[in-house]
Amino acid sequence: MATMSERPASTFGATLSRRQFVKAGGALVVGFSLVGPEFLKGDTAKPVVLKNSLDPTLLSSWIEIHPDNTVLIRTGKSDFGQGSTFTAYRQIVAEELSVPFEAITTVVQGTTDSTPDGSGAFDFLGHGTPNIRKAAAYTHQALLDLASEKLGVPKDKLSVKDGIVSGASKSISYGDLVKGQQLKLTIPVKGDLTSIFGLSIEGNPPMKPVSEYTVIGKSFKNSVISSKVAAKETWATDVRLPGMLHGRVVHPKTLGSTLVSAGQLDKAEFPNSRVIVKGNLVGVIAPTEWEAIQAAEQVAGGTKWTDWKGLPGNAKLYQHLREEADWTSAPVEKSKPSQGDVGPALASAHKKLSATYQLSYMKHAPIGPTMAVADVQRGGTVHIYTHNQNPQALRGEIAMMLGTTADHVIVHAYPGPGHYGRSNGGNAGAEDEAVLLSQAAGKPVRVQWMRADDMQWSTQSAAAFSDVQLALDEKGKLTGYQIDHYMPAMQDDRPIGAILAGLPTMPAPQVHSDGVTSTVNGIEDDWIYAGVANVLERGHGTFQVGQKASPLAVGLRDHSMRTPGQFQQNYPRELAINEAAALAGADAIQFRIDHAGEERAIGVLKAVRDASGWDTRPSPRPDAVSTGSALVRGRGVSLMLRSGTYWACVCQIAVSPATGKIVVEKYTVAADPGIVVNPMQLKRNVEGGAVMGISHALFEEVTFDESGITTDDWMSYPIPTMSDIPEIKVVLLNNPKVGTYGGGSEAANALAAPAIAAALHDATGKVMRRLPMKPAYVQATLKT
Amino acid sequence: MVTLNVNGVRHEVEAPGDTPLLYVLRNDLQLIGPQFGCGLAQCGACAVLIDGKEVRSCITALSSIAPNQEITTLEGLPARWAKQKGLSAEEAKNTLHPVQQAWIEEQTPQCGFCQNGMMIKATELLESNPNPSLAQIKEAFTTSGPSPNLCRCGTYVAIIEAVQHAATIMAKRS
Repeated sequence: MATMSERPASTFGATLSRRQFVKAGGALVVGFSLVGPEFLKGDTAKPVVLKNSLDPTLLSSWIEIHPDNTVLIRTGKSDFGQGSTFTAYRQIVAEELSVPFEAITTVVQGTTDSTPDGSGAFDFLGHGTPNIRKAAAYTHQALLDLASEKLGVPKDKLSVKDGIVSGASKSISYGDLVKGQQLKLTIPVKGDLTSIFGLSIEGNPPMKPVSEYTVIGKSFKNSVISSKVAAKETWATDVRLPGMLHGRVVHPKTLGSTLVSAGQLDKAEFPNSRVIVKGNLVGVIAPTEWEAIQAAEQVAGGTKWTDWKGLPGNAKLYQHLREEADWTSAPVEKSKPSQGDVGPALASAHKKLSATYQLSYMKHAPIGPTMAVADVQRGGTVHIYTHNQNPQALRGEIAMMLGTTADHVIVHAYPGPGHYGRSNGGNAGAEDEAVLLSQAAGKPVRVQWMRADDMQWSTQSAAAFSDVQLALDEKGKLTGYQIDHYMPAMQDDRPIGAILAGLPTMPAPQVHSDGVTSTVNGIEDDWIYAGVANVLERGHGTFQVGQKASPLAVGLRDHSMRTPGQFQQNYPRELAINEAAALAGADAIQFRIDHAGEERAIGVLKAVRDASGWDTRPSPRPDAVSTGSALVRGRGVSLMLRSGTYWACVCQIAVSPATGKIVVEKYTVAADPGIVVNPMQLKRNVEGGAVMGISHALFEEVTFDESGITTDDWMSYPIPTMSDIPEIKVVLLNNPKVGTYGGGSEAANALAAPAIAAALHDATGKVMRRLPMKPAYVQATLKT
Repeated sequence: MVTLNVNGVRHEVEAPGDTPLLYVLRNDLQLIGPQFGCGLAQCGACAVLIDGKEVRSCITALSSIAPNQEITTLEGLPARWAKQKGLSAEEAKNTLHPVQQAWIEEQTPQCGFCQNGMMIKATELLESNPNPSLAQIKEAFTTSGPSPNLCRCGTYVAIIEAVQHAATIMAKRS
């Protein structure tokens, strides 16, 4: 076959060239170019091209169209149960290409040498335009150009249905278009592959009009569920390499202890085990898993550490944060919607509220502790086999630890237990330790954290408190609202094994750390109440608790967790708005409707009001009581805008004042994400988020003493059981006129806490401004 | 040497008698359905059936299992169902256990790490109670075992719906 054209065709910032032809097979490969015309116009630094990555101009591919009309897609995003890569991504690509959902037969994800874009397992839908959608749109344009040339029909006279391009009584399939050719489409890309946000596709390829959608909006099933349920999926936990040893790590006695001496092994009992010490990192390796566990216990018993008492203990947490933490080194962040002058509004208020709200530390608490297999090959490449939400970022961190470049590290991504953000910055906990033990052993090593390691040595969701002042006029209108959010740095991406071993890591959170790891506390909770004339929202940040005092620079390390930062800010806001409604003598939903500016916010409020059977009236209920053993009931509401989706939630509870035990009887949520991509998957995500939210609200609190974390298992860190869950009702508002699709795997978990707290107020007349609402804390509140 | 009868196959295993069954299943027999969740019998991720009863393989020592006891892992559920229903070998090959089928049709798992234990518990329940009430389902997953079966992704609603769906499938086939 002869060359059709040497001339590159340019469309919407992409460049198509057809120089190479192959005898058989062939595929349209949409790679990305780092020197694309759009990119060169910007002043962004040129992204580093890494070996062991898909070649950005030749081999890297986002989408392949095959001669048999099947399609392969690649994404750096890893699935952890959201299902987006297996459902929404296939639907989005199928839609933009106008092929059936089933034509997308392969989804490659996560692994660093076979996916293009990096980034974490968050914001899958990219505010409506994830990378894969743009890649598909560019591909669609390229295929139309090809068809136009092949059929001799102008591009604007062509249409596509089920992968067949037709026009002027002629037609050709995508498969036939690419058959026998290897085509390269280069598209502009920017970003940093190993950063938390990875690379993003630039340019503005035309997208399919929403009115023509046929694939998006349907409940396609998630293919990985079938293989997991049938025990046919290879999980990270299943990876076994030839000659692999089992490893366990003996973590320090406290979050600030240094090693005095490592314990010895009784060689008669454990003839094949070995202790590995590197700085303050103590590891044990053995040929079998059971021997590794037992040997590690013996070594732990004999290991001596220095003592350290540098934490305030959880009983004094808020006092410590208020009185001792440094809130002055990080600049105060002010939200964009801040406007007017709250001071005069407060001075002239008919009614005022001044209150403080507190949230405890919470664990991501994956149901399986973190693990990794590492194979450090002498003089060669480091291979890591693990479950990770951001494999490219992990790659960068491991390279930094080893003093090498990311070219020498490949992270192989496998399914694993959901950990809700913990490894979005690159590491979940065991990966670096596996690398160090493998390096010392000269063999592949599998490090599995035990339950206590995972509870006590992983990062956690940051504790926070907020001060609110608000003003109401005599008509019950909210005239002034001021909130000051205080939270320690919420993201520490340093691998713990590297810290313990004294090897290079990124810096501990500080004012000038990059982006998310800074101590600066940005405003994360989108303001919804445009009807309030005077608003002031400020974020105050500081170092992690214990970070500066710990000789290891460890302390209570934090990490973003499902709805990060926004949960810490939305809980105080929404509970305060409920209190404002009560002060105004207004119904809490109507009060929100009266102050909300946006139609979609009002839409979800009305939907949740109808679906929950809400009785419109002020809180507390007229017969509210805060004493006695009889159950009292109440209901509360909350509202949030996150990732382009509007959410409103109603919780109906029963509480026994005598015991302080709250039972959520019904959780109703309404969500307007714009276009609902996959109703079934979104509903399941929201149901799961609802349960996690009830867990955050009622159960979850990391306890710690002056030395370290004292929650170490599911007894000391309880989460809900099946008997703890209420009736859950999910109302999805498909809103195509919005023209885009908002996120859905976060927010539902954050909505429960303020709604339940408002319901407690409704039932008892008492406001509890602290999470979690454990029975003992509820009892104490009700006695005030 | 310990003799184990797993999914209808006899295995001779070279491991100390105090070794928890979980590590032998996963590392020696390559049966990877059961997962390590806590090692403390607090979550259920490692559950298997022994003579039809759900047990936590993470704390079950090899020496406590008799050679004639039938161990069933997630991998063995299809064959268990086929045997119970007298399906032909050909039918059995292409059949999932109704519990697994329901788990797929209801799109139950999120991350799926706990779901091995959830499906084992559902199988135990439905074999003794083919038509459980909502209260009985909650009782089974909360108080019938050594600990509640825990799901961190919060899929309990989907699990309840899948158990009810599995009961319907099983009733149609009996």
